[in-house]
Amino acid sequence: MLGRVRLAGDEADRPVRLDLLARADSVLLPHRTTTARLTGRIRIAGRADDPGAQGELEISPLAHRRIRYRLAFELEGRRLHLDGWKSVSFKRPVTSMTVLPYTLYEDGEQVGEGTLRFPLATGLLPFLTGFRFPRATQAAAGRHLAPRWDGTPGRTEVWYTTLTDPATGSGLWLHHEVVAPSDGAPAYAHGWIALFPKDGPAEHARFGPAPWTAGPDGFTAADTSATTGRLTGSAGPFGWALTEKDQGPPLHTFPRWSWRRPWLPASHMLPATRARYSGTVRHATGELRLAEAPGASARIYGHGNARRWAWLHADLGGGDVLEIVAAVSMRRGLDRLPPLVFLRLHREGRTWPRRPERTAVGWAGIGRFRADIGLPRWRVEGRAGLRRITVTVTQPPEGTLTLDYTDPDGSAAVCRNSERADAEVRLERWWGRWRPEATWRLAGTAHAEVGDR
Amino acid sequence: MTTSPQALTGLVAAVLADDGTAEWTGAVPRRVAALLDAMPAPARTAVRGAAAAIDAYAVARTGRRLAALGTAEREHVLTSLAARRTLLPLLDAVKMPLLLAAGTERMLHHGPRPAVSAPADPPLDCTPSPHWPTRSTADAVVVGSGAGGAMAARTLAAAGLRVVVLEEGQHHTTESFGRRAPLDRFTDLYRDGGATVALGNPPLVLPVGRAVGGTTVVNSGTCYRTPDHVLARWLNHHGFAAAEGFATHLDEVERALRVARQPLDVLGDNGLLALAGARELGWAAAPLRRNAPGCRGSCQCVVGCPTGAKQSVQLSVLPDACAAGARIVTGARVRRILTDRDRPGGPRAAGVVAARPDGSELEILSPLVVVAAGALHTPPLLRRSGLGGHPRLGRNLSVHPAISLAGRFARPVTGWKGVLQSVGVEELHTDGILIEATAAPPGMSSFVLPGVGRELRMELERTDHLATLGAMIADRPSGRVLGRERPLLRYDLAARDAGRLLGAQRAMGRLLFAAGAEEVLTGVPRAPRARTPEHLEALLDTVSARHLHVSAFHPTGTAAAGTDPDRSPADPEGQLRGVHGVLIADGSVLPSCPEVNPQLSIMAAALGVAGRYVARAR
Repeated sequence: MLGRVRLAGDEADRPVRLDLLARADSVLLPHRTTTARLTGRIRIAGRADDPGAQGELEISPLAHRRIRYRLAFELEGRRLHLDGWKSVSFKRPVTSMTVLPYTLYEDGEQVGEGTLRFPLATGLLPFLTGFRFPRATQAAAGRHLAPRWDGTPGRTEVWYTTLTDPATGSGLWLHHEVVAPSDGAPAYAHGWIALFPKDGPAEHARFGPAPWTAGPDGFTAADTSATTGRLTGSAGPFGWALTEKDQGPPLHTFPRWSWRRPWLPASHMLPATRARYSGTVRHATGELRLAEAPGASARIYGHGNARRWAWLHADLGGGDVLEIVAAVSMRRGLDRLPPLVFLRLHREGRTWPRRPERTAVGWAGIGRFRADIGLPRWRVEGRAGLRRITVTVTQPPEGTLTLDYTDPDGSAAVCRNSERADAEVRLERWWGRWRPEATWRLAGTAHAEVGDR
Repeated sequence: MTTSPQALTGLVAAVLADDGTAEWTGAVPRRVAALLDAMPAPARTAVRGAAAAIDAYAVARTGRRLAALGTAEREHVLTSLAARRTLLPLLDAVKMPLLLAAGTERMLHHGPRPAVSAPADPPLDCTPSPHWPTRSTADAVVVGSGAGGAMAARTLAAAGLRVVVLEEGQHHTTESFGRRAPLDRFTDLYRDGGATVALGNPPLVLPVGRAVGGTTVVNSGTCYRTPDHVLARWLNHHGFAAAEGFATHLDEVERALRVARQPLDVLGDNGLLALAGARELGWAAAPLRRNAPGCRGSCQCVVGCPTGAKQSVQLSVLPDACAAGARIVTGARVRRILTDRDRPGGPRAAGVVAARPDGSELEILSPLVVVAAGALHTPPLLRRSGLGGHPRLGRNLSVHPAISLAGRFARPVTGWKGVLQSVGVEELHTDGILIEATAAPPGMSSFVLPGVGRELRMELERTDHLATLGAMIADRPSGRVLGRERPLLRYDLAARDAGRLLGAQRAMGRLLFAAGAEEVLTGVPRAPRARTPEHLEALLDTVSARHLHVSAFHPTGTAAAGTDPDRSPADPEGQLRGVHGVLIADGSVLPSCPEVNPQLSIMAAALGVAGRYVARAR
């Protein structure tokens, strides 16, 4: 905002410029009151230039008819407070929403007064495009474990965990699933545990089915539970008790809205990009002791399994994670499309590409990412902005477990899963030509699966 | 300079029988025009229209306008007009501003005003609204600086709150009162130039002050404690909890205003005659208790005391408030109260929007808004703020209808030398009639001299032989304040109150004759004078209340407090129902007519309302 100020002792007004960023913990609802934190820069010509101004914004255009700014900043070593508000009037909507009269205080005493104006011509577009939905806070990470199923028939919901024991090179897969059959039969819970020893064939055991009663936190059925920070249970010769420590922000493999509003056939997300697991897993031939084993948990909620799909979770090290789901839907019409690729590269704290829809549908199909699904090797590649990525996954036949899946409508699918897969990830950046930006090679630590019918 | 239209000039010359022999009459038209400029547009238009109509009547009768006629012809035109009894009230309405201007001019020309020395006023922290920031905050905003607002501001500031008092009028110092002519002060100090009118039958003139200090700057300084039976009614019938411990509050207010019985030394002949009349009749009467220690009998209470003796709140209570940190913003008319509607527990006051004289707006955010805009302006303010939903808001208006009577005595009385309102005759108080000996600066009395032309001029020349009495009655709450932007008053005199007014007129007539009056002027155009008590009785038998010239002075009760949520817009603590953080602390909060001059009652109620708020907040 631009404007003027008359400081106490000054004989004339001075130009003022205010550049602010507002962050709120909740979504801005126009009919309610939202409080946001302000950070930014205030410049008073010849007197102050404080890039560390901080304060509070109260946004209430309808309930209070007021948008109030309170900001503390430095002026020549003095600590000043700006307090002003726009008074929203329906008779003068533009003026009242863009003019901010304010008063400056120092220790409660008035030391200045002025008016700021929002420059509509140059500021409106950046302002509107600058809106973002607030990120979920870390403390609320556990909420992603809460059951989503609302009683609708024909739904399936999954909590699964995959990890790699760095000490033995073994992989572990824990799958917890609730199936609500399409015919209205009672929902049932079941799952399995699969161990992928470094040298030898995978072994697994199923638990359930058991009647499903939804609890407030995660999956609990048939002596087995997957709740916040804890995984316990038993199946056949297996018994396990693990603790889980999240080490990253939530990651939505599918568009974030599809998790809140289940309008897609299914949605997949990770409550945390990475997690560390400790505890013991007892199996038929011995016991696996885990200490800070890397892995991740994930969630699926939808109508059932895809017609054909591939999945990859690759812990690239240094906090970076690659998550891929490429799938062909069962829905009529959509089943004729090539696999839709949802690729999320969480790298250096940012996720690329910014929107999941970009990799799946591109610009109306143009520029979408492509997947070549097969076994033992499958491949995904694509380009967004000035970067392109090529991912090659190899699932060793001896380290791949084949399991039968059953959809809510009773149809069957076959899944071939390996928690000891290899993966090569090549990231390039355009700068006159394609130049390598980063390459990761995972040997036996990638988690992948391919499914079909 | 204001110019006077020709019709007005001619009318003044006719009504005052201006034959060119007196110098002062020449300046009257210009002063009338200046007075009309201060009046609201409808009143101005009505007077100018009446002047034009009378001019047209002159043209119809004589072929020439009033201004072009000679003295005798003008007299002839007016006499024929006054012979039509139905037109007498119209003539009376036109005479009022003329008499006000004429009285002032005559006084200026006849008696040079004695120089008055006044002590310096106690300091006030006043800021004109153009110099107040457009955005500011406070712990409490008080709307209005009159009796209620000042007391609330003092109480809240003493409790440590940052208080801002918003006043639509300006700050006038005692020194400025001594420097300026009464009529100049009159137009500044009164809202609508003193021409606030309540529509009804009869219509009432209801003057209210507008300045720092509110109506206390222009009242007569009479301080009655709230009668016990009124207090009992407020507590037991209405459940006005803020009236608990009212005696203590009244004591504190009396201390703040330095209330004492008026000594006889400066009482003036007007008051002494009233005492003599009462003694003759064996009626209870005494000098009034007033908040004017050291009063020098300037008889200018109604236009601001020029000696600083009258302890109106800008000299007594507001300085204490300012010493405790309160600040006063002058020239700020509150447009509306801001409310936050999404607060848990219901809407809550958030501050006020006020207009500066140039039309720009300033806003003050505050969690507490004390409304003390006066009983006439509080309801429109609440309506403008979206808080006027209670069906009884604006109703329950009591105004103390009042009439006055003058007696002509053989010896000079010179009412304007002495205390303006000096003696109270309480003999009929149990019947709801309170008689108070009230003189006023020339022209400013609510008493209208009879006649037009030569007759009126003669009366004007002999005003120093007149003693005037006023009587107000305890009325039923028969009035109503309508309107959002400005109040529109409606008052229909109840049948019981009409009887009381006529009874008051007879009683005052008896009192004047008992005091030795040769003649009593009734103020009724159709029966103007009586020379004996019997004649007066016979005369008044022909008069009904709608023939009377009725004034009113003490509006109360339009946002009454009480326990019944259906009948009382404010709760027993004086908080407006339906919103948190709005206190009513002026005459409008009183549950019913206080039956005496209400300054002490309003201030004690404001003290109670604000004091209980502070106690609850702790």
